[in-house]
Amino acid sequence: MSIDRAELQDAARKAFGESGPAPDAEKSWSLISEMGWLMMAVPEDQGGLGLGREAEGVIHTELGRALVPGPAIAQMLTITALSAAEGLAERDDLLARAMGGEVMTASLSGGHAGNALSCIPDANKASHLLIATDQKITLVPLDGATLTPRDTWDKTRRLFDVALADTSTAYVLAEGAAAKALNEKLQSQLLLALAGDSLGGAEAILGLTIEYLNTRRQFDRPLALFQALKHRVADMKVRHAAAEALFWSRATNDATRAEMGALKALATNAYHMVVEEAVQLHGGIGLTSEYYCHIFLKRATLNNALGGDADYWEEQAGREVLAATNA
Amino acid sequence: MTAELEALRSEVRSWLAANAPKDWRSADTHPAFVESQRAWFAKLVEAGYAVPHWPAKWPGGGRSLAEQKVIYEELAAADAPRLLLSFVSTYHAYSTIEECGSDEQKERYLPAILKGETWCQGFSEPNAGSDLAALKCKAERKGDVYVVNGQKVWSTMAQYADKCLLLVRTSSDGAKQAGITFLLMDMKAPGVTVRPIHQIQGDEEFAEIFLDNVEVPVSDRVGEEGKGWAVAQATLASERGLTLMELSYRMRGSLWRISKLIRENGRENDPGILRDFGRLAARVDSACAVADQFLENRMNGIEGVGDASIVKLTYSRVLREYSLLGVRVGGMGEQYEAIITFGDLNTGNWMADFMNSYAWTIAGGSDEVQRNIIAERMLHMPREPKNWLVAEGAA
Repeated sequence: MSIDRAELQDAARKAFGESGPAPDAEKSWSLISEMGWLMMAVPEDQGGLGLGREAEGVIHTELGRALVPGPAIAQMLTITALSAAEGLAERDDLLARAMGGEVMTASLSGGHAGNALSCIPDANKASHLLIATDQKITLVPLDGATLTPRDTWDKTRRLFDVALADTSTAYVLAEGAAAKALNEKLQSQLLLALAGDSLGGAEAILGLTIEYLNTRRQFDRPLALFQALKHRVADMKVRHAAAEALFWSRATNDATRAEMGALKALATNAYHMVVEEAVQLHGGIGLTSEYYCHIFLKRATLNNALGGDADYWEEQAGREVLAATNA
Repeated sequence: MTAELEALRSEVRSWLAANAPKDWRSADTHPAFVESQRAWFAKLVEAGYAVPHWPAKWPGGGRSLAEQKVIYEELAAADAPRLLLSFVSTYHAYSTIEECGSDEQKERYLPAILKGETWCQGFSEPNAGSDLAALKCKAERKGDVYVVNGQKVWSTMAQYADKCLLLVRTSSDGAKQAGITFLLMDMKAPGVTVRPIHQIQGDEEFAEIFLDNVEVPVSDRVGEEGKGWAVAQATLASERGLTLMELSYRMRGSLWRISKLIRENGRENDPGILRDFGRLAARVDSACAVADQFLENRMNGIEGVGDASIVKLTYSRVLREYSLLGVRVGGMGEQYEAIITFGDLNTGNWMADFMNSYAWTIAGGSDEVQRNIIAERMLHMPREPKNWLVAEGAA
């Protein structure tokens, strides 16, 4: 682990660790922008920190671990798109506002779980919406737009459908070949973010499950003494560790969009496996709304649906590997 | 750095194009396969690609981890045979003798490995499998020799080995680990009998070793008497990450074999197969990444208890998935019995490879033992009561 990664993790856990699962939305957003996380990947000559994908990986993992609400993933997509918008006169102003925490949201559908006007987090708090397609990437002011809240099972995220009133005032960030390349980059970024969020969440619920098994007593002994349960916990740990190793490998090296998709599939499937087991290992209490298990379960299944699901990305990755190994 | 690696890659690739054996799978008897292994090992030693994981003082040694991975990937891409016969010699025997052996032992045994002397491992016994420390093979000291009596089992290619890494019991007092001693035994010594074990894929990769008053010179003891358990643990841990890194990168370099099978069977547009292939490729990469991370951490001195277990469980599971996808895509083609003269991840028959993959979920500490290590020692869940009779009484 590089020093930067450890330091960032440490800072994140100081910020979110004590507030427990699913901290307050407003407070979380202030913390995220105050700590400079939104400017993490932006080049230094644009006023950012120039830390790149690995740093974003740490942040999304930590946000997932603490089940932090809010539009951080969407905001970072918008910031990436703005940062790449060569020739846009208002770019520096918009970028500075977005990095400072003015909400500029984007769809988390990745063009799969819906379209660019669905799956939009916190649209009610946003000034602008990023609309990304292979042909054109624009930033649209949300004044006058009709926002339809779509209450998801996962209450840590608040998603909207948007009907735009007027797109004539949209800023064009990229068109043609540049739009296609940028859209691919944005999709990869979304996939990495969702993978990180999933791995952080999986690690948190694994820890809570072990704690529960160590504490809960039946048959005059802690549940954690039963080998049948211990081996399930070990399997949860291994699934998480293998996906996490691939996550850092792909966060720090070049990877194609399909490879990011396969990583996202591996990570969300690992999260799903871990949290499914966690609910079961908690017994009846795992089904209650006052306990934390369901919050992880719901975020895990939402992560699987957003950005293109495991079935889609595994097939894409399969095609890519098949073509690449044309022996 | 990357340019240097690419230069190495093309160097290895062109050497392999001219030198990789093409017909090694056609050996239709086990001895014929072993002969082809000896010849291939000698060729790799000469070219400097046999022991990239050894230190720089050895010919072909001193390669960085990144360089080793390039070599393993290229060997797999060229469909070159893996060094099955020399596996224990170049990993386990080397690290045991290098780390714990006397100067005399190092001088006598290590150069001989590169000349083709082969080693097997005499650890498991009929009643000491997962519970290895319960081993009973007895060694009694008589003057300058130990006289050894007992039985060993699951020794890979013992019938072709020149030497054996042998764990014996020299004392029954105290903790069961305390009376274990580590010996280097000559497989040609009087009293050594080897009987191959017929496996489910028709191969005889493993063997039993029977020891009847076998004399082992005291000078062939590694470490002190009664300290053999620590020697075995230390050396097993030091080779574990490296062997699994080689195997993981080998598997990565072998994915083309499944691509080929998909094409041959007309499954290029079968979404179910494509999904499973895409997932497998990511899983293989994750096995590589886990092994990489383990080795990187170890070099930085931050290896944690149980890390090696995660590497092994990941590899053994992914290997099963790899061979099973081959079985599925190959369809009936894999169901017709083939003559298998060796066990590996790429025998050319996926059903055989699938059956052979069980060797990895059992050998070197079964999946269940690894899960215990992760749960109890890494995640600090409470340990099993030591004596099951006491546990039963408490219930």
